[in-house]
Amino acid sequence: MCLLIWLVIDIFLPCVPVSTAAEPWPENATLYQQLKGEQILLSDNAASLAVQAFLQMCNLPIKVVCRANAEYMSPSGKVPFIHVGNQVVSELGPIVQFVKAKGHSLSDGLDEVQKAEMKAYMELVNNMLLTAELYLQWCDDATVGEITHARYGSPYPWPLNHILAYQKQWEVKRKMKAIGWGNKTLDQVLEDVDQCCQALSQRLGTQPYFFNKQPTELDALVFGHLYTILTTQMTNDELSEKVKNYSNLLAFCRRIEQHYFGKGSSSIRLS
Amino acid sequence: MAAPLELSCWGGGWGLPSVHSDSLVVMAYAKFSGAPLKVNVIDNTWRGSRGDVPVLTTEDNTISQPAKILNFLRKQKYNADYELSAKQGADTLAYIALLEEKLLPAVLHTFWVESDNYFTVTKPWFASRMPFPLSLILPGRMSKGALTRILLTRGEPPLYHLREVEAQIYRDAKECLNLLSNRLGTSQFFFGDMPSTLDAYVFGFLAPLYKVRFPKVQLQEHLKQLSNLCRFCDDILNSYFRVSLGAFSCVNRNEQQIDFGEVHSHDSTTCKLIAPDWRHLSCWTRNGRCKSAETDTTCK
Repeated sequence: MCLLIWLVIDIFLPCVPVSTAAEPWPENATLYQQLKGEQILLSDNAASLAVQAFLQMCNLPIKVVCRANAEYMSPSGKVPFIHVGNQVVSELGPIVQFVKAKGHSLSDGLDEVQKAEMKAYMELVNNMLLTAELYLQWCDDATVGEITHARYGSPYPWPLNHILAYQKQWEVKRKMKAIGWGNKTLDQVLEDVDQCCQALSQRLGTQPYFFNKQPTELDALVFGHLYTILTTQMTNDELSEKVKNYSNLLAFCRRIEQHYFGKGSSSIRLS
Repeated sequence: MAAPLELSCWGGGWGLPSVHSDSLVVMAYAKFSGAPLKVNVIDNTWRGSRGDVPVLTTEDNTISQPAKILNFLRKQKYNADYELSAKQGADTLAYIALLEEKLLPAVLHTFWVESDNYFTVTKPWFASRMPFPLSLILPGRMSKGALTRILLTRGEPPLYHLREVEAQIYRDAKECLNLLSNRLGTSQFFFGDMPSTLDAYVFGFLAPLYKVRFPKVQLQEHLKQLSNLCRFCDDILNSYFRVSLGAFSCVNRNEQQIDFGEVHSHDSTTCKLIAPDWRHLSCWTRNGRCKSAETDTTCK
């Protein structure tokens, strides 16, 4: 039923001549993700946190709502998505564009070369960190058996929970094969994560944010992924150990957590 | 280092040492870092395998993807990134990710999915380098692989039609080319005066797009407007690949590429290139021209 309604909105929404720039950011903007405690997976949590961080950095209020069928409600099939006024936008890239159309932007102060660098580093995070998270969740048998299958199918009754989980796993494995990650071992994936973290650490250096004093969408994206990796309990700690090797990245996550999420003490464990 | 390193990869044409992006990346890196590679071009005999090309064979093992091959060469002390700072090394990784995400889908589409290009240029070229009956099967499989990759990585809802996906990937590719052009600016290479890994990757992706002659050329037209990227490709071809015999090309009157060493005929007369010194190009034609890529000789 829900799906039908969204399908109808999908068809008719583009025909509505709405000027997005004219409307200010409403108070009741909401962000939808899966259920936090039982359902959401590592990669989706990272993506959701990245969007939340970005909106916090822009000083735009957002309410987080957890729904079991968030993935199916989303126009692109990916979480998170935001519902602002009568617009629905999903994924960080389009959300950044949407927010820019409303007149808020974090990267206006950058020159062309810096913008190119920012885009390149965002692709690096998507290419390596996100793919590694997906690999760990869906292609590593230990994790799949112990965590992923149970979590992904948790809101649904038997046998739907198994069917949906296997379907998603098959889709992800197909994608991994297409991009050449199908034959990688876990160790090679962890090495790639290490390389990516090393690159991020070298780029960050001793600065507070990637482009010195002001945070940009790149900072939000990196924070989303690294913080999630550091604070999520997996079958083994190898992934978070790779990130913990880089102290400036740890400090970066703590800084953003305390500044934008207002926590007195950090939830990032060191041991 | 005394052991011979053999690289097997797809051959060249249109002035390039190879028309395959991954093969070109490895060849360019080998030239930049001074690695002595023996290049075995895949031809239509049954020798050698065609999966996972390019493949580097050493005494002990075989290595297949470009990233792994470059890693191996670096471990053997053939390092083109020696003079880069840590930040530049990080930038290299980031820009390579940008190329793979934004530019590669459009390049794959131009070569393998766009039907005019595929049936008139790509398929005949690759099929002529495979023995029968592989030549009937393998190009189709490569084309399907490219389409699958594009659809799986970019063709997610709400882009339900291939045409919309195409529009999106070409938009992204043009933006990526603009970003690269901005980043290169007026310098000779991406990081100063010496070429590095990033230059090898950019050259590998751009050169086939720049040089291969296609019927449907929208991305190529966009690339040709970015003069600094074209100058970048030409510079590398002239400095590092000039004397390579694989880069020699002959074009006959019908604008068809003829490979070095082949005897070809047009207008019922024979035109023969004499190996190995291309200066002794001799041809007998009554009408029509046999044109040398280097000296532009016209034979009467």
